[in-house]
Amino acid sequence: MKKLEDLKYVVRLSEVSKIFGSDEHKTVALQNVSCEASAGELVLLLGPSGSGKTTLLTLIAGLLRPSSGTISLFGKNIESYSAKMLQQIRAMRIGFIFQTFLLIDSLTVQENVGVVLRFNGKTRREAHRHAFRLLEQFRIEHLAKKFPRTLSQGEKQRVAVARAIANEGDLIIADEPTGCLESKQGFEIIQLLKTYSKDQNRCVIVGSHDLRIEEFADRILRLEDGILRESA
Amino acid sequence: MDMYAVRTLRSQPLRLMLTIGGIALCVILMFFLFAVYRGAADGSVEYIRQNKTDLWVLQRNATNILRGSSLVSAVQGRKIQQIPGVKSISPVLFVLAAIKKGDRDRTVFLTGFDPEKNIGGPPYLVAGRNISHDNEIVLDKSFAAKFRFKVDDHVEIQEHSLRVVGISTGTNAFVIQYAFVTVRFLQKMIGFPGIATCYLVEVDEGNTLAEISSQIRRELPRLEVYDHETFLENNIQEMKSGFLPLLYTVAAIGGIVLTVILSLLLTVNILERRKDFAVLKTLGSPKGFLRWLIIEQALLISSAACVVALIVFFPLVQMIEKISPEVSTKSTVEQIIVVVIIVEIMSLISSFLSIRRLRSIYLMEAFL
Repeated sequence: MKKLEDLKYVVRLSEVSKIFGSDEHKTVALQNVSCEASAGELVLLLGPSGSGKTTLLTLIAGLLRPSSGTISLFGKNIESYSAKMLQQIRAMRIGFIFQTFLLIDSLTVQENVGVVLRFNGKTRREAHRHAFRLLEQFRIEHLAKKFPRTLSQGEKQRVAVARAIANEGDLIIADEPTGCLESKQGFEIIQLLKTYSKDQNRCVIVGSHDLRIEEFADRILRLEDGILRESA
Repeated sequence: MDMYAVRTLRSQPLRLMLTIGGIALCVILMFFLFAVYRGAADGSVEYIRQNKTDLWVLQRNATNILRGSSLVSAVQGRKIQQIPGVKSISPVLFVLAAIKKGDRDRTVFLTGFDPEKNIGGPPYLVAGRNISHDNEIVLDKSFAAKFRFKVDDHVEIQEHSLRVVGISTGTNAFVIQYAFVTVRFLQKMIGFPGIATCYLVEVDEGNTLAEISSQIRRELPRLEVYDHETFLENNIQEMKSGFLPLLYTVAAIGGIVLTVILSLLLTVNILERRKDFAVLKTLGSPKGFLRWLIIEQALLISSAACVVALIVFFPLVQMIEKISPEVSTKSTVEQIIVVVIIVEIMSLISSFLSIRRLRSIYLMEAFL
């Protein structure tokens, strides 16, 4: 697998379609989508609910296989990765931010961040220390021992970003990260992701219907009914 | 990450307590079965183990005294005595008899022996003394406790009144208890003077048991001869063949119930937290990591259940023995270790059954 600096594109999709079901029950979620994203870029995947954003993000992460077309992830056709390799890629090179953050309620903030480091091969103690350092960077170390249910939306959002970048992944995939936030918090999370992509030269792909965050994007891909309408 | 295992279990305290309670009951059942088995095993054969004689002579085809019938006549007894190398013989007669208590009869394994020979009697006396006359009886401790007999009481067997002179232990065979009288009294009671179930034979020094055994078989082809160890083993095997299938069946049912209860809890936990598992999978959790979480939960619950069972078991057994003195139990560290190992194996099986649920959780679920 190629290193980030050797790659022209972190992700590249060529004529990708995704169809769920078959015959009269089939749903075309994506149709002939071609696009790419590079290191140092924040790519905004813009579209209304049901436009196929989440499907596209999950295809990029290797969580789904395309019905047709090719997806190149880190310089290799995604079909050539085994399930085990995709799991390792997700653990080591991809960070995720979910719409409602999906922090694990039974774990403390520090454990929530530390868990991805465990998947990355760190020992429990190393993961614990590293997670705390990360929380310090985000100035939320005072939340380390708290449980997600006691946090505000803004605090959850910071923990989710900390978790997404904990493994210093080359690619961050964020699905509607501002969906349940007020505009100030929404801008803050996009700003954090933008900073990460620029400072660390990483690729960030954000799926959203929130037009207010357009200004932060390096590139905008507009999706409608599974079809990529324009690329700006 | 084992904190996740612990915390998810603790998040439903009532369910966790009920599960631990249910599994603890299964563990107690297993502890109890093993303890009863050990108690019955000891009680059934302790009489033979402690009456250490050189040879046991019974009617041909009779291999044990627990579930076999044997009749040896006085004539045959005299012939055994006349065989060169035989030092002494002692007749023992076993008869199932009813002791009258109020208006009900209580069955005992009445054992007639010759008190003058100092062999064939109760293995241990915990109260009183051994019998010396025909109108005396020694009762098993649990039988005496159950029916409130004590030393100096009188018991009635058929039309005979016998004085209780001693209380014995090592004589509770679980389903029945031994009682000891003189062989002369017992022969008279059943109306067959001189009859015996077996003869306990001691051999003169300088003679091998094999030689004497062969000689008895040659002289008396209708009799069978066993050395002490073989006869003890025969009786142990007989006891096991009657008891172990029941023990294994009930223990297996306990084990299955335990596995089902634990599997249910683990499966419900997985299904309730499928979003968490989907997120963990999406974040790149290796398969082994999630599987180990479930195994950890299973081992945590089963270990907690074993601790609860151990705390409850001994007082419970004391209570049962007080209510039903004929239930004689014996627990050893080895038995407890074996049960704990079985429980942990069953909990691993439960976790493997539940782990299959993880397969039905799709990565996409984190995005839905």
